[in-house]
Amino acid sequence: MTGAVIATSALSKSFGERAALRSVDLTVQRGELLGLVGPNGAGKSTLLRTLIGLVQRTQGRVDVMGHDPATASLAIRHATCYLPGETGVYHQMTGQQFLDFALGFYPRHQPALQRQLLDGFRLPLQQKVRSYSAGMKQKLALMATLIPDVDLYLLDEPDRALDASMRFFLRDVLLGCKRAGKTIVLSSHHLSEVETLADRLEFLLDGSFVAPERLAAARAQLRRWPRLRLKPGASLPPGARILRREPDEALVVETDADPMAWLRSLPADVVDSVEIGVTRLEDLYQLLLQDAMPARSRA
Amino acid sequence: MIARKTWREIRVMALVYLLILELLAIPVILLWPDLYGELQKTTFLRSLPLDFARRIGTGISDRNEEVAYRNWISVMLYFRSVNLAGIAASVLLGTALFAREREAQTFEFLLARPVSRGRILFEKCWPTVLCVAVPIFLANWSAIFWSRQIDLELPFGELTLASVHAAAFVLCFLGFTTWVSVLSRVQAHVAFWVGGFTIVQIGMYLTQRFRHYSVFRLSDFDWYGPILSGNRAAWEMFDPIRGDGSTTWLLLTTVTFYALAWRSLARAEP
Repeated sequence: MTGAVIATSALSKSFGERAALRSVDLTVQRGELLGLVGPNGAGKSTLLRTLIGLVQRTQGRVDVMGHDPATASLAIRHATCYLPGETGVYHQMTGQQFLDFALGFYPRHQPALQRQLLDGFRLPLQQKVRSYSAGMKQKLALMATLIPDVDLYLLDEPDRALDASMRFFLRDVLLGCKRAGKTIVLSSHHLSEVETLADRLEFLLDGSFVAPERLAAARAQLRRWPRLRLKPGASLPPGARILRREPDEALVVETDADPMAWLRSLPADVVDSVEIGVTRLEDLYQLLLQDAMPARSRA
Repeated sequence: MIARKTWREIRVMALVYLLILELLAIPVILLWPDLYGELQKTTFLRSLPLDFARRIGTGISDRNEEVAYRNWISVMLYFRSVNLAGIAASVLLGTALFAREREAQTFEFLLARPVSRGRILFEKCWPTVLCVAVPIFLANWSAIFWSRQIDLELPFGELTLASVHAAAFVLCFLGFTTWVSVLSRVQAHVAFWVGGFTIVQIGMYLTQRFRHYSVFRLSDFDWYGPILSGNRAAWEMFDPIRGDGSTTWLLLTTVTFYALAWRSLARAEP
């Protein structure tokens, strides 16, 4: 387990009868940005909490920067900043008071990043936090988490409640942190942004990571599913069946034969736009979810 | 950091609590001369049906005004004010210590700071302990000043000893509330359990048959009267071997509650 910032082996965590993590093996190298993806209740938050010692594992081994969170949680927390999934900010404080309080626990800060976040988020720090919107509270919590100069950042849904422009800004900030050699593990439901940001993605389903070969098979399967948008009034030509209808009315279809040959055979006045060979993370996510929980997907 | 934040949160309540103690004390002191005159004219209080009320009545209508006044102070400043306002303050402040953090979803944020859970507990508790205990001393010491306005004297030493015992009793409630607050996720649940316990104990105290088993037996007229009249020495309160050591036992119970709170916090998961 040496050389890696995080290394877990057969990590399991149960809450009573319910298993939240099942034999999770994870290694994160220094300077790596790992994205954790999974549906609600998959175990993402539990994994992050276990890494920092907020919850105790049931079985397995965990090593975070040479320390075991079960016995040396404090040493890990000195070198780690953790953003909880639920925004925890003190409403009775002003934004500035909260920042002073949160940053006061860490001896070293990143002044350049602090200025960048202050300029980017533009929070009214002299106002009470109780007057903040959900997005403003999340920005404040992000500042409190990212400004301390530590080696490891564990971010549970950092883009929660942020609008699109702020998510792009946050992506730039996190990429800057990565360039500065920081190790980041983040979970998110904005899958396309995780995909562009992370060095590596791990899919958590029902407490377990999806095996790489299963992931590769799912990607290969997705590459065979064209996504097309039909012209108004047109119907789907024969030789394919609709797998899913997207909110934007695009159809994800499966063809009986070679998808490229089927696409070439389509009349020009039927199809408005076509996309094939692109593995969208959203599609991958749904496919893996269907594989893992067929009963749930049927329901 | 945490202690400063805790103090910022409770300082107004500490001031209000001190004012309440003071407001409860001043009228009962300044009205004493008139009351004592009336008490000398009646034997009603000496014939009350409840044993403890009859003894209070007898004590505060003693022929010696100095003795009667000290009994009055022990009943009104300690038995009534501290038990009423002190326990209310303990429950209010103790309830907020951890259950409010959970309700406000800041508990996880707090646990993730690079400080030990023992230090979190300590830094949250010591300002609260001071906030609950110090006003008891200040309000009761101020009784010396107010008593001089009616030409009566109260001994500083005995007042301080009685205040130590009263503070120990209230801190016991604070310790209990802190422990329940660590265990609970909702402030209302803490208030329900601690408030329910307190009401049951008051009910037991007012029932002759069960009064002996009520915790208020440790903070009533029968304790403060002898302390204020100089009939209970400090060593009796603190030495559990030669005396009853009641104050020491109260302090040890408080420490036990804090140990339980520490143990529960060490195991707590967000």
